[in-house]
Amino acid sequence: MAIGVAQEQEKDTITYKTPYGLRLGIDISKPILGLADSDFSGFEIVGDYRISKNLYIATELGYEKKTTIEDYTNSTAKGSYLKLGVNYNTYKNWLDMNNEVYLGFRYGFSAFDQTLNSYTSNTGSTYFPGELNTTASTTKGLHAHWTEFMIGLKAETFKNLFLGFSVSYKILLSIKDPDNFKTLYAPGFNRVFESKTGFGFNYTISYTIPFINK
Amino acid sequence: MKKNILFVFLITMAFSACEKDDICLLPNTPNLILRFYDSTNPTEVKNVERVSVWADGKDTIASYKSVTLDSIVIPLHVNATETVYHFKMNSTSGNIADNKYNKITIKYTPEDVYVSRSCGYKTTFNDVSITSDNGWVRSFTPSTLITIDNETAAHVQIFH
Repeated sequence: MAIGVAQEQEKDTITYKTPYGLRLGIDISKPILGLADSDFSGFEIVGDYRISKNLYIATELGYEKKTTIEDYTNSTAKGSYLKLGVNYNTYKNWLDMNNEVYLGFRYGFSAFDQTLNSYTSNTGSTYFPGELNTTASTTKGLHAHWTEFMIGLKAETFKNLFLGFSVSYKILLSIKDPDNFKTLYAPGFNRVFESKTGFGFNYTISYTIPFINK
Repeated sequence: MKKNILFVFLITMAFSACEKDDICLLPNTPNLILRFYDSTNPTEVKNVERVSVWADGKDTIASYKSVTLDSIVIPLHVNATETVYHFKMNSTSGNIADNKYNKITIKYTPEDVYVSRSCGYKTTFNDVSITSDNGWVRSFTPSTLITIDNETAAHVQIFH
């Protein structure tokens, strides 16, 4: 009796493994902006943790100090912020490449102080122009909450080392204004536009501490 | 789909980059508005002729130099609690001998009120009281304290 063994052939595919782990980095645009612009200083730490093939839990933590100079007011906002959310990678990598083009969503929270350094009353008159009032007044305990939609990319330049860039569109949920003044800048949110929206970007360099390859 | 999201994102950014808070279009510090009436017929507006207006220690206001009109809009000094204005008029001729003078003192408590990013602060005037040295001005209203926080109507009616 002849036994025909139909040996099942193994599938001719190789699954490429990519690392899962904690990626930590900094926003390098803020120190550079701080050097170029004496009215700004700040830093931001970024981190993400990969939870599935295309999904990352992402966060940003930072501190900013920004002086806003308008025609009739000069004010400084300083404080810290935290953003928490997810990034969804839409980029299909080749082989074992590990780059990202992602869509992100964040919830942001910022706690800060704002100081009105000086102001001039807007008289609209040259006959009796307003004089500069330099009595500074600080309002502590201001805060802002917002949501943020972002588009970004991350490219692996060396093993586990990533360069990233992202832009974001922010919508305020709530903001606390000082009495008889307005919050013109909120750390993490940036300039507060009249329409309660804002924009941001960052340029990051980050490193993955791989826990496991999957 | 991806392209669509990107497109919507870019369009949103492009259109929301220009904001109305870049240009100040809101009212700022209100001026004092005076309206002139006939003292013998107080409901009738009456022009003051060849009137010149200047504040204490300052030059004549360029737009009020020997002009004939029925109302005057003048700024108040926002960083003081008092502004003194001089009104020179001449209802008979251009001769210096016929000039008539009147001094009006306006006392107030200024208050700076925040308007917007581009407009900054405006000053409103509370507890405004007005006194006249009885030159060519016969009388005026109101005699009570007023608040000047807008320019929608004349604040002071002057009878002459």
